[in-house]
Amino acid sequence: MSNSRSANRGVTRRALIKGAAAVAAYSALPKMLRSTADAAEPSHTLVIAAPATPQSLDHEFDVSLGTIDSVGALYDNLLEYEKIPDTQFPEALREDISVHADKPYNLNLKGKLAEKWEVSSDGTVARFTLRQGVKSNWGNELTADDVKWTWDRKLHLTGLGPFQTGVLNITKEEQIQVDDRYVISFHLPKPSPLLLKQMVNLSNPVYDATKCKEVATKDDPWAHKFLENNTAGFVPYVVGQLTRGQQAVFKARADYYRGKPYMDTVIFKEVPTSATRLSLLKGGSVDIAQFIQPLEYSALRNATGVSVDAVKASFAIWIELNTKFKPFDDVKIRRAMNFALPREEILKAVFQSLAGKQTGCIPEIYPFFTDKFWQYDTDLDKAKALLPEAGLKDGFKSTLTYDAGNPVQEPIAILFQTSLRKIGVEISLNKVPAATFYDFVTKREQPMIFYLDSPWVPDPGYSLQLYFNSDSYVDYSNYVNQQVNELIRSGLQTLDPAARQEIFTKAQQIVMDDAPWTFIAWPRYVLARRSNLKGFTYYTSNNLRFQDFSR
Amino acid sequence: MTFSDRNRLSTVPEVEFPPIRQGKLVFGFRYLARLLRAHPGYAAGYAIVLAVTLISIAAQVIAPYSPVTADATVYLQPPSLSHLFGTDSTGMDVFSRVIFAPRIDLVIAIVGTFISATIGTLVGAWVGYFQAKSGIQSFVSNAIMRAADVLQAFPVFVFAIALVAVFGQSVASLVFAIAFVNIPIYLRLVRSQVLRIRDMRYVEAAYVLGIPDLVIVARHIIPNGIAPVLAQLSVNIGWSILLTSGLSFVGAGVRAPTPEWGSMIAMGFPNVMTGQWWPSVFPGLALALTVYGFALIGASIEFLADPRRRRTLSALERKAAIQA
Repeated sequence: MSNSRSANRGVTRRALIKGAAAVAAYSALPKMLRSTADAAEPSHTLVIAAPATPQSLDHEFDVSLGTIDSVGALYDNLLEYEKIPDTQFPEALREDISVHADKPYNLNLKGKLAEKWEVSSDGTVARFTLRQGVKSNWGNELTADDVKWTWDRKLHLTGLGPFQTGVLNITKEEQIQVDDRYVISFHLPKPSPLLLKQMVNLSNPVYDATKCKEVATKDDPWAHKFLENNTAGFVPYVVGQLTRGQQAVFKARADYYRGKPYMDTVIFKEVPTSATRLSLLKGGSVDIAQFIQPLEYSALRNATGVSVDAVKASFAIWIELNTKFKPFDDVKIRRAMNFALPREEILKAVFQSLAGKQTGCIPEIYPFFTDKFWQYDTDLDKAKALLPEAGLKDGFKSTLTYDAGNPVQEPIAILFQTSLRKIGVEISLNKVPAATFYDFVTKREQPMIFYLDSPWVPDPGYSLQLYFNSDSYVDYSNYVNQQVNELIRSGLQTLDPAARQEIFTKAQQIVMDDAPWTFIAWPRYVLARRSNLKGFTYYTSNNLRFQDFSR
Repeated sequence: MTFSDRNRLSTVPEVEFPPIRQGKLVFGFRYLARLLRAHPGYAAGYAIVLAVTLISIAAQVIAPYSPVTADATVYLQPPSLSHLFGTDSTGMDVFSRVIFAPRIDLVIAIVGTFISATIGTLVGAWVGYFQAKSGIQSFVSNAIMRAADVLQAFPVFVFAIALVAVFGQSVASLVFAIAFVNIPIYLRLVRSQVLRIRDMRYVEAAYVLGIPDLVIVARHIIPNGIAPVLAQLSVNIGWSILLTSGLSFVGAGVRAPTPEWGSMIAMGFPNVMTGQWWPSVFPGLALALTVYGFALIGASIEFLADPRRRRTLSALERKAAIQA
């Protein structure tokens, strides 16, 4: 009896365990199957590990990394360049920015918000016919009033707008006219080869004027406060969540006029340390790790499931030689500095060959670039010989200021310091926190300071105007050469490509001879991504556009 | 066995010790030697600090390469016979830099600590002596103590960063920052000693004899209250080395490429993720070892400065002899 009870209890217990296991297995099985199915079906969520989330969504006042990536997905332009495969990384696409004699206005353009466009024969009037039925994320239809309000806003605010209008010689609202509900025209006092290119520029997207006027106040007539945290555009994505310092979430719009983007959701996570971004990518937690360091990219080359695209870009890094400071007011010293830079060693050790030698003063990928005036391959003998010619046979002392937040600048500075010491030049290195570095740059009070930048409009005139016209606010080396000023002015009013080439070739020759910079490198735009992510497209504004990606 | 017997057994008879006049600066090398024999850990501390000091003095002779010359052709080389500790991302020899670094770290830490100890001791003695008096002297004493409270309310590291940011990135600024943040420590330490000593008969006697206050403080109070300061000094030097390195690690210390452990760790830190551990690990080890050495010295001084612990020395010696 007792045995029987015991047996019964044993059977019961076993049965209970078996039953529980069966129930667990039954409930777990479909889940496992579902997981397998999920893994087989590509995800429509894109996760990006970025150094920073967007600070402001109003690009007029913010060009930080997170912001420009967001602007590319939250606003649309009138035009875009056609895309072509990258020559080195055929999986990647890039804008076709070269001169095309067989195409209208010598450009390979495609309509976005504009359906048609025409420029008068004298190049002073451009007329755009807008696509009809395009709705903003607030449901308002795109009209010429939106384009007009967008450009009027630039004229009234003090951010990037005045520069964008200034390069086109637009100074008054009357120069932008609404010809019809869907037709807008721009009237310039002088011809400008930049007019169509400016309509592609990431800095010139079109706002939903109806919504912006609705939220504008007397104190804020151009809706700056609203646009800092919200968007009003004719866009592929809208902001789902923005927690600064943590993450931004973007949601695809089903009613986007070009069709819903492949990625339904984009999670843009702030991961400040590049090593952590690298780990997340290797572990498969994110699809893209932005701006990781050159050595880390090299470590990724053999990682499984990870691909690295390193395409030629509009980036350049150089040292501003302040021509108002002695001895950099002497061209011989500036040339000596260029001869003394151990460029090849820097490219190899610091950039891990993910950069090219900066052999010119405009990006190598831009039309009319030439490297035939390059003369500064490292040569310490030449550098040393120039010092006595400048009356400094015993060398001199100076200070090189660099950005603590940029991991390549310190090693470049140390290598340069070692090289200069060999010719009797002693430089002390001044490390400045990233938060205040740009104040140092813009004040132009440092004899030597690093600068990393890219001119977004792929035009030699735009590029030269930014850095070498003495009237430009970006002429941080205080470079003044009236002949260069005149050439830039002339080239920005000339439409004929051959004439432009002649003008800008001459300008490049003079600038290279004058050497207001120590030319360093053209860093590549490098994208570290999961291998199953497709659609990477390089833009001269060096930003991602989430709508390009698929799996 | 009576209680007094047990008590007698548990303590070492004072007769075994030559008389030590408490409060005097000189304890005598004989005691130190006895302590180091009985407690080899303390000896290791002295050996470490001595070795680091000697190596840094002879760095010019020992170092195979210049500590500030970059050579991109050998960047990030792993440790080998030609580069004992490998090279960093600009090709500088890590070994040469590690042995040159104490010249900066030790100088900053020692000078900064001695300045703070001197100022802290003088002000602390003055404050302690005059605090109980009435009038302006008492008011100033209290004001100084409240100012010290305010200074100590700030996190030391953040405060030091702020000071370096204000005075600029230089060795002098670091010395100043270290001295400034340490002054309240010595001030409080000495004040507490003075509060005890000033009520002693010999101080009262000096006062009755009409000896001026400052002379009493300088001749009778400071020499008798300085022992804890000496014990604190060594610990504080180690802590100051850490602070110097910490400031350099966050970019507020010495200028690159000055060889300094904290700045070397910071420069090499990004390479650890990609497998090149040597530019960071070797300076880190050197830093840890040196700070440990100073901590051991501090512990030994604390031992010697404490009469109750001094009395256990013989017991320790016996234990060491038995173990041997």
